[in-house]
Amino acid sequence: MSESVRIVEKKSVPSNALMLHGLPDVGLVGLIATSHVIGQLKMDEVAYVDSDLLPPIVVLHEGLPHAPLRIFGNGELIATLGESALPVKAVQPIIRKLVEWGQNKKAKLMISMGGLPTPDRQDIESVKVYGAASMPSLLKTLTDKGIQILHGGFMVGPYALIMRYCAERNVPAVALLAQSFYNYPDPEAAAATIKEFSKLTGLNIDVSKLIEGGEEIRLRARDTMKRTTEELNRMKKTQEYDLPLYV
Amino acid sequence: MYETRRQRRSTFDMIRDLMEDFEILSEELGEAAFFEGPSWDTKSCCIEPLCTVSVTEDEVVITADLPYTDPDTVKVETMGPNRLEIKAEMKRRIRFDEFGITHRQGEFQFFRCINRIPVPVDAKRLKTSFKKGILEVRLPRKKARQ
Repeated sequence: MSESVRIVEKKSVPSNALMLHGLPDVGLVGLIATSHVIGQLKMDEVAYVDSDLLPPIVVLHEGLPHAPLRIFGNGELIATLGESALPVKAVQPIIRKLVEWGQNKKAKLMISMGGLPTPDRQDIESVKVYGAASMPSLLKTLTDKGIQILHGGFMVGPYALIMRYCAERNVPAVALLAQSFYNYPDPEAAAATIKEFSKLTGLNIDVSKLIEGGEEIRLRARDTMKRTTEELNRMKKTQEYDLPLYV
Repeated sequence: MYETRRQRRSTFDMIRDLMEDFEILSEELGEAAFFEGPSWDTKSCCIEPLCTVSVTEDEVVITADLPYTDPDTVKVETMGPNRLEIKAEMKRRIRFDEFGITHRQGEFQFFRCINRIPVPVDAKRLKTSFKKGILEVRLPRKKARQ
């Protein structure tokens, strides 16, 4: 099944880099955050994901077509960015391929930035970010950086699979998950994850524009959020609210 | 698939299978039967906001994401027993080209949506709040004896 997905490299891709994942998920937290990081660090498109499992979509930028799932890079960072919701049937093969590709590129750490759906999110003044990791030593790293560990519960969707496949392949990976709206774009949560990303990696990313432009982002992201919510519902994302049997 | 299902003994499993089939069928029918139009209308300068309707034991809660909205302009009205209209005015007009869209003309200044209220409610006791650009409407459910 993995052969149904290929990663087409357009430029040289750095080895031993950090690999950031920004895929459409709850509150579009990862997509908004990663898009901001790519813009701030002026990263170039270095590769894209091609697959018959993806819908026949191109994203036009300045009149030129681009794949909806692209990979950006600079010397020290690789970032995947999904601008369109991943169909539920495509999630497993695509994530498997991305993890395999990242491992071949000797990514030193995979970082997923995402949201943790939280009821009454609008009542939360200071958004908390929780961390999960693919191996015990990284849990200690997160704790040392002051990031609270997500001790129990369910993860569902692309980031869940990144964690699972990385754990299987012994690839170092962490997820930074901010309290967020389930189906409303959440730039504030994205800013909170970037702050933790900066703490973890030492890469300083200014989030002031993200916070100032939050309302505009919410307006622009509305249709992508709607499509993403449809896919999240298909993959039973609301299971993240469930209480686990074993604690 | 039939064999797999036959091996399941529990009635709950059979009900779950039927519900899954129904869900898939209704999704397919829905997708095939309706043309999904844009979430905006240039004639009325309206954009449809993202909304959520949830039902608890005591109330129906409807929320809407209304960025750029002046809270004083938000209007919530019931339309008959099972529909609720939300209208709001943005702080400024937004043009298509601000979204990077240059092949369409038009601008927007209003949010408008109509939500279905799934169970009977007492609309007279409707309460609203507006925080961080999120409108929340709470409608107490009518009890059976009402």
